[in-house]
Amino acid sequence: MNYSLISLEIAVVILGLGLLLADLWIRPEQKTRLGYLAALGVGLILFWSFKFSGVPSASAFNGMFVLDPLALYFQRFFLLAAIIVLIMSVAFAGRIATGISEYYSLIIFALAGMMFAASANDLALLFVALELITVTFYVLTSFQRARLASLEAGVKYLIIGALSSAFLVYGIALVFGTTGQLNFNRIAAVASEFADNRVFLLGILFILVGLSFKLAAFPAHLWAPDVYQGSPVPTTAFLAVGSKAAGFVLLLRLLFTAVPAITERWNDLLIVVAMVTILYGNLCAIPQRNLKRIFGYSSIANAGYLLMGVAALSGAGRAAVLYYLGGYLFAVLAAFLVILLVMNEVEGEDISALAGLNQRSPLLAAALTCSMVSLAGIPPLAGFFGKFLLIKAALEQGAIDPLYYWLVGVAFLGVIISISYYFGVIRAIYWSKEPPVLSAIPVPLILRLALYVCLAGMFYLGLFPNTVVELANAAVKVLAVR
Amino acid sequence: MLAWTVYISFLGVLALMLLPAGNARAARGVALVTALLGFLIGLVSAFGFAPERGIQTITRTAWIPGLGIDYYLAADGISVTLVLLTGLAAVAGILFSWNIEHRAKEFFVFYLALIAGVYGVFLSFDLFLLFVFYELAIIPKYFLIAIWGSTNREYGAMKLALYSFIGSAMVLVGLVAAYVTAGSKTMDLLVLAQYPFPPALQNWAFPVVFIGFAILAGLWPFHTWAPTGHVAAPTAASMLLAGVVMKLGAYGALRVAMTLFPLGLATWRNEIALLAVIGIVYGALVALVQKDFKFVIGYSSVSHMGFVILGLVTLNTIGMTGAVLQMFSHGVIAGLLFGVVGRMVYDRTHTRDLPELEAMRLNKALPFAAGTFAVAAFASMGLPGFSGFAAELQVLIGAWSAFPTYTVLAGVGIVVGVAYTLRVLQMAFFGEAPEPVPEAAHPLPPITLPERLGAVLLIATTVLIGLCPRLLLSLIGPSFQSPLFEHVLKGGNL
Repeated sequence: MNYSLISLEIAVVILGLGLLLADLWIRPEQKTRLGYLAALGVGLILFWSFKFSGVPSASAFNGMFVLDPLALYFQRFFLLAAIIVLIMSVAFAGRIATGISEYYSLIIFALAGMMFAASANDLALLFVALELITVTFYVLTSFQRARLASLEAGVKYLIIGALSSAFLVYGIALVFGTTGQLNFNRIAAVASEFADNRVFLLGILFILVGLSFKLAAFPAHLWAPDVYQGSPVPTTAFLAVGSKAAGFVLLLRLLFTAVPAITERWNDLLIVVAMVTILYGNLCAIPQRNLKRIFGYSSIANAGYLLMGVAALSGAGRAAVLYYLGGYLFAVLAAFLVILLVMNEVEGEDISALAGLNQRSPLLAAALTCSMVSLAGIPPLAGFFGKFLLIKAALEQGAIDPLYYWLVGVAFLGVIISISYYFGVIRAIYWSKEPPVLSAIPVPLILRLALYVCLAGMFYLGLFPNTVVELANAAVKVLAVR
Repeated sequence: MLAWTVYISFLGVLALMLLPAGNARAARGVALVTALLGFLIGLVSAFGFAPERGIQTITRTAWIPGLGIDYYLAADGISVTLVLLTGLAAVAGILFSWNIEHRAKEFFVFYLALIAGVYGVFLSFDLFLLFVFYELAIIPKYFLIAIWGSTNREYGAMKLALYSFIGSAMVLVGLVAAYVTAGSKTMDLLVLAQYPFPPALQNWAFPVVFIGFAILAGLWPFHTWAPTGHVAAPTAASMLLAGVVMKLGAYGALRVAMTLFPLGLATWRNEIALLAVIGIVYGALVALVQKDFKFVIGYSSVSHMGFVILGLVTLNTIGMTGAVLQMFSHGVIAGLLFGVVGRMVYDRTHTRDLPELEAMRLNKALPFAAGTFAVAAFASMGLPGFSGFAAELQVLIGAWSAFPTYTVLAGVGIVVGVAYTLRVLQMAFFGEAPEPVPEAAHPLPPITLPERLGAVLLIATTVLIGLCPRLLLSLIGPSFQSPLFEHVLKGGNL
């Protein structure tokens, strides 16, 4: 057994446990700063992860766990997201009554779950990784115990999460019951025998429903706006970026490693789900006034765009998903950093809280504007190139199935609709009817650095996409079925 | 060297960002120097340019090799003409916005970013790059109108942004479809234009891409953003909007839509010519009844841009050359008209209502403005000796062989054009006040030097091109001999 393969995960878990222990000895007024230590630790692990670049793919625990370029791509993605989320949590600490060090360690444990998800090659590990993420998020969403909205978010997340876990575990049971296998590769080997076995297909369908909860995609998308709105800001950011990406890596592995033949037969289903998700997210976002709620719906819409890449059933499509997630990470984290800082100054999360932001802090205004422009898919930022890749991948399949043309049409419609609410946010920053408060918003150095990283990421990915595209292409090669 | 028009504008943006806020004079200075340098680079390149050598590569490096996307700048006579126009409009626009004090630094940052994007579009021969520059020009426009605009600015800005984005989404659909059909190997316009796209694709992709671009050129019935956008925009922005941004649309329609899909062009050219002619006549008729000074000019832009589109779809060298010349000519004249309306008149009288202006007898109060506007009005009407005449005449000659009926209708449009131009000239400047004007109470500030300079620059250009159109025609004409336009001129017959 090669334990070095899971050394990154082990390091993350040790870091989480270490934080919990450190909490016992550190004086209360010092505890807030523990977050920086956690971020530093995660940063070191991220640095260490580059030692694994170029190492040939390998698996451990009877093929349950794989470490390949795809897993590494996502693990670095999660580590990077966690660093920024931890920095955000330190700035948010003032709003959390007690147990800030538990908050940090829960983020680390959620991170561990995501890292296992990136490497999961087995239905059992898939389930365990997802539950590790979901259960920590039950606590993270309701961490502001004194705030009703936060508690409400926690309960909603719990109920819908439990329901989708039920679907997931039932689906896994059906698949295991029919095939007797849990490992993706072994399922793939026998899947052709069960191609018409309805119980097996139902099992796969149930697993997909369970996963759609993580993606915030139709049919289990309803929780997203409420939970995004109610949760503490760092939780929402991690939910939007990390949790969604974990869902996608699992979806990619399941669909293209375990049941590629069924995936090809079901492409119409994937297309329709993508279309519904895009339309639902974008249309519902239009009338929203709460900033975090806008992101809840935008997150649904983005899950729809990402599903386009999955539905395209091609290497180009899967690489586009990876690239798009990269751009999405920087745009969303930049936006939540700004929201966090603005909300520290102004009570309320209404979009009008942004009034006059360009005078209160030009940096924050510029960062939020760039984030919106990127999410709206306007060049030269990352979001545009991501959408370009996704749409190209879908169009390339149009010759096979005309439904892809419809998908592309819906995606364009979604992009145009989304401009109205993303620009609504920009409008609120630069000109608003309400007389704005004009006190300057202080931006602590470390948050400023985090913002710069996000901005640089958006511009770098948009202007010089080549490196990441190559990385993504290399990563999805392990899923090569066609 | 032409590539430096783009870089110098971006450098200007950077330099402005580093300036301390609140120093409006320095911001103006940096912006003016940048724009002048861009203009000079364009001018020098134009003199040294050999249009008969076709499309000349300026720089080319792999950008995203995996997808066959290059950073590919090149130029032919059409590009050079429009680069010159952009430089001219940029300089004049800055001269006409010399009085901007409110957030001047930001104003010029957006202004130069817009200019950089426009230069980029005119010089890109990689479709992806072209599209990126095209979009880059939209965002600053939105900010310019929404922050520094006047009447109904939020509505105007949002409407303009939405129309632009819908247009560019349509363009992108067609471009990606062409790219994927040709095997996802290259975005090089010159290569893709030689690819025999199947007729079915051309027949849907051509109208989608053409209209996507033409929305920005103010093609009827997708023009409605133009009058509201122009009216809402601050002077310099409306000069740029009418002067160069509308040309982006026409340029894209010519350079991309027509060359990529010549068969689709052959199928749809009649319908497009019809829309263009409706635009010419409709814009002129609506301009005839407007009460707002700026709306008159806004609708006149719709009418004049109709000539550009009509010229493009004639598919003969005379008409298409005329269309490009009309782009240049209208850019200069519309810039001048908007400069007079927005800066010389509105900033002083704070009204654009024609009956109110009629009572002010501005020819006495602002003789320079009246003189400038009179010249601009004559140029706009298409009087011989001004650039508009040479351009519209060429378009009509070209159109006569292709669409005789439409040509007659376009002629009607010119007559109505004379009517609304004279009407607005008379009402705005040479009104008959029923009672003596209380002039002493509110003496209008005199016309400043930068305004005079800007006006003289634009008037000189329109007269120069009017008297000697060969200067530009010798640049534009040979460009249509390049293989890029081969299929276009043959009406799609391969």
